[in-house]
Amino acid sequence: MRQKRTWPIHLALIAVGAVMLLPFYWVLKTSISGDNIFAYPPSVIPRDPNPFYYVDVWYAIPFARYFVNSVIVSVMTIAANVVLNAMAGYALTQTFRGKSFVLLLFLSCMMIPFQATIIPAYLITGKLGLLDSYLGLSLPLFSTIICIFVYKASFDAVPRSLIDAARVDGLSQWTIIWRVMIPLARSATATNVILSFIWSWNNFMWPLIVTRSPEMQTLPLGLARFLSYQEDTTGALYAFCIMVLAPGLLLFLMAQREFVQGLSAGATKG
Amino acid sequence: MIEAAAKAKTGGPVLRRSTRRAILIWAFLAPSLLIFLLYRILPLAWNVVLSFEAWSPLKPAVFIGLDNYQEMLFDDDVFWQSLWNTIGLISSAPIGIALALGLALLVDSEIRGREIYRTIIFLSYPLMTVAVAIIWRWMFDERVGLINYVARSLHLVDTPIPFLNSFTWALPSVIVANIWQMLGFYMVIILSGLQTIPRNLYEAAGIDGANAFHRFIRITVPLLKPSLFLCFVIGMLNSVTSFDLVYVMTGGGPGRATEILITYIYKLGFNQTRFDYAAAVTVTFFILLLGITYLANRLSGGNAGAVERD
Amino acid sequence: MDRRHVLKTGAAAAAATLFAPAYLRAQSNKKLSILTWNIADQEALFKEEFAEFKAAHPGVEIEWLDKKGPDVPAFYQTQLVAGTAPDIVDLQGEIWVEWAANGALLDITPYFQADPEFPKLFNTDYLSSWIYNKKNYLVPFYIAKTLLFYNKLMFKDAGLSAPPTSFDEIIKFSESMAKAEKTGFITLNFDWLYWPLMKMNGIELLTPDLKKPAFNTPEAAAVVDRLAKATASGGINKISWTGRWVEPNGAFSSGTVGMMHAHSSAYFFVKGQGRWINRDTLGVAQAPGNWSTPTNHGFAISKSSKNPELAFALIKLMTGNKWATKFATTRRILTANLVADKACLASLENEDPVAHAVLQTQLEHTDKLTGNWPLANDAEIKDAFWPELQNGLLGRKDAKTALAAAERAVTRVLRRS
Repeated sequence: MRQKRTWPIHLALIAVGAVMLLPFYWVLKTSISGDNIFAYPPSVIPRDPNPFYYVDVWYAIPFARYFVNSVIVSVMTIAANVVLNAMAGYALTQTFRGKSFVLLLFLSCMMIPFQATIIPAYLITGKLGLLDSYLGLSLPLFSTIICIFVYKASFDAVPRSLIDAARVDGLSQWTIIWRVMIPLARSATATNVILSFIWSWNNFMWPLIVTRSPEMQTLPLGLARFLSYQEDTTGALYAFCIMVLAPGLLLFLMAQREFVQGLSAGATKG
Repeated sequence: MIEAAAKAKTGGPVLRRSTRRAILIWAFLAPSLLIFLLYRILPLAWNVVLSFEAWSPLKPAVFIGLDNYQEMLFDDDVFWQSLWNTIGLISSAPIGIALALGLALLVDSEIRGREIYRTIIFLSYPLMTVAVAIIWRWMFDERVGLINYVARSLHLVDTPIPFLNSFTWALPSVIVANIWQMLGFYMVIILSGLQTIPRNLYEAAGIDGANAFHRFIRITVPLLKPSLFLCFVIGMLNSVTSFDLVYVMTGGGPGRATEILITYIYKLGFNQTRFDYAAAVTVTFFILLLGITYLANRLSGGNAGAVERD
Repeated sequence: MDRRHVLKTGAAAAAATLFAPAYLRAQSNKKLSILTWNIADQEALFKEEFAEFKAAHPGVEIEWLDKKGPDVPAFYQTQLVAGTAPDIVDLQGEIWVEWAANGALLDITPYFQADPEFPKLFNTDYLSSWIYNKKNYLVPFYIAKTLLFYNKLMFKDAGLSAPPTSFDEIIKFSESMAKAEKTGFITLNFDWLYWPLMKMNGIELLTPDLKKPAFNTPEAAAVVDRLAKATASGGINKISWTGRWVEPNGAFSSGTVGMMHAHSSAYFFVKGQGRWINRDTLGVAQAPGNWSTPTNHGFAISKSSKNPELAFALIKLMTGNKWATKFATTRRILTANLVADKACLASLENEDPVAHAVLQTQLEHTDKLTGNWPLANDAEIKDAFWPELQNGLLGRKDAKTALAAAERAVTRVLRRS
């Protein structure tokens, strides 16, 4: 029973992996060859591959500027997320009056779709004087409910004995949080970082509405430039998609292991 | 909370600590609550108020009571069609979750390179939804799409299948694209859930004579309920807020075959400038989602595991 | 001490930059903002125009925003609610009627009256297509209307020598060219572009007072029925009723469709994609009855604009003879500005005779424009009418039932207004 035959599993996984990768392959192929995807039959091998579409993207839009904006907004979002979500997650591990109300509130906040909040969100941001600013761009995503629950579960998983021992040692609440809980919630932090990055980085509609000046635009807004007035889907469009994808992917690769563990904490403690 | 603080004042050091504790807890919750208040709760309130009014960006609001709701429920086929499509989309989440469960089981086994498989499968999630929609629109294209090309080359069909132009195939096509995007995310959640199930449970069951299937039903699934619930909630939220996906892939068409509530709300507001009516649909949508979450919670044993633990 | 001071100042400055709204940072006396609809490729031209304007009006800042079509309504309306709508907005199709009716746009008739030479620069039919309630709202920016492209090679194969001159011939020709994966006819369907097919059969959408639907007639049912049958038999390509932009144009440019009913912009798209296209293979004609649906762009001024005179001055500059000509000749598009369009056609005559022929159709029969009604709720009516018509055309419902359902839906919308 020890030596299981693994090749059928590999086969199945390779098949699935191929299906998952197929669209990517096409995006990648078109980004380096500019083959017209509306040509028939579709060509599997890229015809004269060249990196110039990536260069096109760089010059067609102020790529560096948009990239920097996206980075700033995402960094702000991630930083705020980690702090706010950890705090809220920790608070939810304690018992207090009104706890179930708060939990219900959070859950129902998840059910409010963004498109229905565009105008009021814009008006509120305007009242706060944050239109067309980095803070205005990132504020709505400063805290997300899924990540709060991930932190909560992670904190829940810290053995009671450890906390009690720390308390017996005379450590204050604050110190316990800083020295004991946070380090043990490393994977929740990794999860938070990856998810809030992806959500913030790919955010399209909110930056569209909230920015006016061209120098405040974030990377996804550059997309419009490549869906040209004739909706010509070109190599540059796909190169653009790859370039937008790259940072999120890298981040995931780097924090992969922690990410899985973090989601695990969020999913199973109960 | 104020009463607690008031009571605490009369007590000794122990109660004062609990007041401090309460303050700490609420202070910790405050920033997040503030963000949600600003960007979710207040907008929802705006929608609720607006749903009882007739308003346009340039005219003052007029209270009209339930007129919007009346129109929506009794006079609007598109609402019902969108509702139906939305429910269809939500019901497809279990398919994606089941697939992800299967994948997670495969990846969870002691095979080499499972992190590579995991990465490959997760890859679709960080891709911009607009990009996902564009590429899948091409793949399903009747004339030049890859799927039809493959199907015809393998002689599975004679004439190309008009996926996105057909009233019957359009929504399933959107569902396929959606599942593709979310599969990795679901899988990672379930995988983590699988990995915390103690192995000795399986071994004990094996000794007791349970075969793989029994082990799966009796051990795996119950202990996975929290993960599955989380997947379902996320999946449901994602598929019904997948505005970009539907809008770019089909625009809600053909006819209203892929119109979901969120695209209808958007069109009502921004194409037809009927924000007041759109608000009524939004409120209804919100209640629908709450209801489904409640149901799902009940079905998964009440306390949803990770999502609510007291 | 020093380092800390520097760091503090630096941090404060960074915070200020990060948290201060960008548009407040720009100091200017007067600011004009102009929102264009998906025309970012003309950046260089606009920069020149703005430079000339700024030279003539010192102290004025121009903020140029360009959004893709589907994003313009969302962006503009949010700005409208917030009270910061752009001074000038470039609008396509019929969306202007809704906003004019709701009071978002400025009535520019007084400006026309103050400078009567200016309106004379334009084709009167196009200019008057932007009149609502006897008031002018838009100045022409660029125009396009539908015409019939046809594949001469496919025509020859089917033994046809000339483009169709009637609805019957459209149906007949399309059926004769239908073979395997080849179809005879395709049309665009957004923004009422297909309406000439109806109008040439005498079908009206609404009664002249625009209060009641007028399309539920036996004649209309017969037309829809014929279209449905032709679609089912492959004469008319199904994508006519289900496609948006890329699919119909892609189909035609692949050389498998005999005729395409689309507006002039389609020419440049299919030319890029269809290698078979040249003056001998692509035919250009008016649709039977010379009916066409325009899809035009015009400049409007937001009512909330703080500098309407300045905004109008900028519009005058951009659509005046000098710059309209430059625009028309570089982008190969017609502007309804008489001088500019003449120059554009002249420049194309030798360079690209087919393009010349295509654009020539845009200036002919401008008295037979259809498919545009001064309806404040045009979008709603379209949304009510089209899905039902689609059902009829695709054979999901028979023509009578589909039209009846459409009539019910449209009546409902009209009742509300």
